Amino acid sequence: MELLIEAIGFGLAAGAVIALGAVGFSLQFGISNILNITYGSLMTLAAYIGLFLIDRGVNPWATLAIAGVIVGLVSVAFQRWLLAPLARRGTRPFAIVIVTVSAGVILQYVILAVAGPETQSYGDQGGQTFHLLGVTLAASQVAIVVLAVVLMLALHLLLTQTTLGQAMRATSSNRILAQSCGIDTDRMSDVTWLLSGWLCGATGVALAITTAGFDFSIGQVFLIPMIAAAVLGGVGQPYGAMVGGLAVGLASELAAAYSNPAYREVVAFAILIAVLLIRPRGLFGAAWATRRLMA
Amino acid sequence: MTVAQRPILEVKNLAKNYGGVQAVDGVSFTVERGSITGLIGPNGAGKSTALNVIGGLLSPAAGSVVFDGVDVTGQPMHRLARRGLVRTFQLARVFGNLTTIENLLVAAPSHRGDSAIGILAGKRYWGDQERQMVAQARELLASFGMTDREDEYARNLSGGQKRAVETMRALMMKPKLLLLDEPMAGLSPSLSRQLEDMFLKLSADGLSLLLVEHGLDTVERICGKVVVMAQGKVLSEGRMAELRTRREVQDAYVIG
Amino acid sequence: MYLGTNLLAAWGLNLEFGVAGVANLAFIVTIAAGAYAYTIFTIGSPTSNGNFQQYVGGFTFPFPIALAAGIVAGAVVGVLIAITGLKRLRQDYQAMAMLVVSLMAATVVSADTPFLNGNAGLVIFPSFAPFSDQDPEVQRWAFVGIVFVACAGAYFLLRRFTAGPFGRTLRAMRDDDLAAQAIGKDVVRLRLAVQAVGGAFGGLSGALLVAFISGWSPSAWAYIETLALLTAVIVGGMGNDRGVTVGMFLIGILILQGVQFLNDVPALKALESYVNRTGLTHDLGWIVLGTLTIVFIWLRPQGIFPERRPRYGGQTS
Repeated sequence: MELLIEAIGFGLAAGAVIALGAVGFSLQFGISNILNITYGSLMTLAAYIGLFLIDRGVNPWATLAIAGVIVGLVSVAFQRWLLAPLARRGTRPFAIVIVTVSAGVILQYVILAVAGPETQSYGDQGGQTFHLLGVTLAASQVAIVVLAVVLMLALHLLLTQTTLGQAMRATSSNRILAQSCGIDTDRMSDVTWLLSGWLCGATGVALAITTAGFDFSIGQVFLIPMIAAAVLGGVGQPYGAMVGGLAVGLASELAAAYSNPAYREVVAFAILIAVLLIRPRGLFGAAWATRRLMA
Repeated sequence: MTVAQRPILEVKNLAKNYGGVQAVDGVSFTVERGSITGLIGPNGAGKSTALNVIGGLLSPAAGSVVFDGVDVTGQPMHRLARRGLVRTFQLARVFGNLTTIENLLVAAPSHRGDSAIGILAGKRYWGDQERQMVAQARELLASFGMTDREDEYARNLSGGQKRAVETMRALMMKPKLLLLDEPMAGLSPSLSRQLEDMFLKLSADGLSLLLVEHGLDTVERICGKVVVMAQGKVLSEGRMAELRTRREVQDAYVIG
Repeated sequence: MYLGTNLLAAWGLNLEFGVAGVANLAFIVTIAAGAYAYTIFTIGSPTSNGNFQQYVGGFTFPFPIALAAGIVAGAVVGVLIAITGLKRLRQDYQAMAMLVVSLMAATVVSADTPFLNGNAGLVIFPSFAPFSDQDPEVQRWAFVGIVFVACAGAYFLLRRFTAGPFGRTLRAMRDDDLAAQAIGKDVVRLRLAVQAVGGAFGGLSGALLVAFISGWSPSAWAYIETLALLTAVIVGGMGNDRGVTVGMFLIGILILQGVQFLNDVPALKALESYVNRTGLTHDLGWIVLGTLTIVFIWLRPQGIFPERRPRYGGQTS
C-alpha cells in the first residue's frame, strides 16, 4: 500500500511538471496548428540558462521566471520569422514539423558544443523533506506542484476573464472568423507564443530543479511525455493538457513502481501511440478538431 | 426479370447518422441501367451523405446497396471502383504532382504493370498495354479538348480543367455506374453544356449515371428519373417537369 | 563503404517518403532490425562466446543467409511500423508518431537486456565475419565489392518500383490517397507493400553495415539518424532516385567525411581547445545537417533534382 501511495505522490509531482510543459505545447498547436518539436530543445536551453544563473547565485525561482522570459522571446521570434512565413507559403505541415525537428537538433547540438556532454546539476535544491500522508517529497517538488497549480489557475483566469484571453481562444478555435470579428490574429499568435514560450522555459528550469542531474538531452527526453499528455487531453486544449499531464505522470510512476523502472518512459510512448491510434482527438478534443488531425 | 433488366443500383432503407444528426434516414431508390438519374434536394437533405455511403466512403448504419445484382453494402471504395462503381468528388481531386495524362493512365484498371510480377518483369511485360492505354487516354483528352495540356502538371490546371480531368479519369476506368457529386459546380454555362452532351452520349452507350446536382436546369435537361430528398428521406420521385408541380417538392425547397 | 550502405538506406526512405508519401520517421528501426538479425544469425550461441553477452537466438550461418535474414527482418519491421501508421492521420501527426515509435523501440531494446543485450549492444567476433581468413586489406576491398554489387542490384530493383505504372500509382497515392481509392487502388495494401520493400532496403543496409563494423548497439540508432537520411532525400530531391543518390553523396561525403577534415583545420582546433571540447566537429556535423534541411525546405523544397516529369512520346492524336 505504501508503494502505491508513494507512487501516486511521485506521480503527482512528475505530473505537475509534465502538465506545465504540455499546456505550453498545446497552446502553440491550438493557435498555429503546428507541432513544435523544438519545444524540447528550448526546455534544455532554459535548463542551461538556469544553470548559468544559479551558478552565479541567482535564486532558483527567479531563474525560472527569467529563463521563461528568454525562451518566450526566442519562441516568438522563431514562430514569427521562420514558421509563420513557411505556413503562409503553403508549406506542408509535415515539412514544418521537419523544420522544428531540425531546429531542435541544431539547438541541442549547439548547446552540446558550448556546454559539453557532462551531466550538470543545480546542486541540492531539495530543501527540507515533507512527509505528507505517507509520501516523502522534497520541498522543491512540493513547490513545483504549487507553482504549477498557481500557473494553471492564472492561465485559466487569463483565458476566461480577460478580453485578451477570449481573443486568444477565439483565434485558436477559428482564425478566419476571429479575424472577421476584428481580432488582430497575428498579435494573438505572438502573445500566445510568448506565453507558451515562457511556460516552456519555466518547465525547463523546473525539470532541472527536480532531477538530480541533467544533460543536453533532457528536453528531448521529457518532450515525449509532454506530447503524450497534450495529445491525451486533446491537442489545442490547454485544460485537457493539464489533465493529461497528471494522467501521464501517475501512469508512469505506477508503472515504474510495479514493474521495471526503465519502463517509465515507455509508458508515455505507449499512451501516445494508443491515443493516436484509437482516439486521435484525445479525451477533450472537440469533434471538429479532428478536421485538423485527419488527412 | 433477367440480370440485364435489373436496375444497376438498388438502394434499400439506407441509414446513416453523422455527428449526431440522422443524415440519411431510410432512403430507398433504384437507378435503371443506361439511365441518368438525378438526386436533388435542398441543402442538408442528406444527398451527399447518401452518395458517400453508396460510393463506399462511409459505411451505412443500416440498409443495403445492391450494385449490378451483387450486395456491396459496406465495401470500401477501391473495391467498388474495381467493380465498376466509380465516383467523382465535388471539389475536383486531381493528382497534382502527376501530369494530366498520367492522371488518366493511373486510373486504367488492372494494368499489368501494377502487379508484383509486372513490376519485377519490367517494361517488356507491360509495354504494349501501356501503349494502348496512352492511346486511349489521348482519345479522351481529344474529346475533351485538352490535348495541349497533356504534359502539364495537374496542379497547374484551371478549375474547369481539373473537373474535366476527374471526369476523364473516371471514364478511363470503364465504369458501369458513375456517381457524380455536383459535376457542374463552378463550370461556365458552355462547359456545362458540353459536359451534359457528353453524359447524354455516354448514357446512350450504356453507362448509367447518378448525379447529385443543384443546378436544376442540368437535371431537367439530362436526367430521366429524379429522386428528391429532404431531411434525410426520399420525398418524391419522377420526371423533373412533373416534380416541379408537386406541392411537397416546392415546399421542401422553400422550407429546406 | 559507408556511402554504399547509406545509399541503400536513402533509397528505401525515398521510396517510402518521396514516392509513396509515407512519412516514416521510424525508418532507422528497419535498419537496426536488419543489423540485429544479421548479428543473431552469425554470432553463435551465447555460451560459446564466453557468456558475457545475453541475447535471443544465436546461430552460425554463412554470410548470404545472414544477409537474407537481415533483409527479411527489415521488411517485417517495416510492415509492423506500417500497421501502426495505418490510421489516416494528418501527415505531421504521423511523423510525430513515427518519431515516437523509433524512440520507443530504442528504449525497449535498451531496457530489455535478455532480448538483445540491452544498452551494451552486440558484438560479432571478427572471426565470424566473412572473408576473415584473408588479409585485412583484401577483406576491406571485398566488402566494398559486396556493397557495390548490392547497391547496383538494389538500384535496378528500385527503378522497377519507381518508374513505370507502379511508380505512378504510388505517386498518385502520395498526392491524394482518397482519390486513389476512388480509382480502385487498395491504398492499405500498397502502403504495407511499400513499407515492406523500403524496410527490406533498410534491413539490407543495416546487415551490411554490421558485417563491416562488427558491432551494433542502441546508440547507433538514435532517432536523429533517420533525420540525416531525410536530409539527404530532401536535399537531393524527393521522389527522384538519381537526385537522392546525389543527395546522399553530398551529405555522406561532405558531412561525415568532410567533418573529419575539418578536424585538421587549425582555427577549429584552436577553438576546440579554447572551449575545452572534443568532438566539436561531430556536433558541427549535426548542426550543419539541421541547417541544410531548414534552408532547403525554405528555399527549394523539391531538392536539387526535383522529380522528373514523365513524357509519353509517340504519335500525335
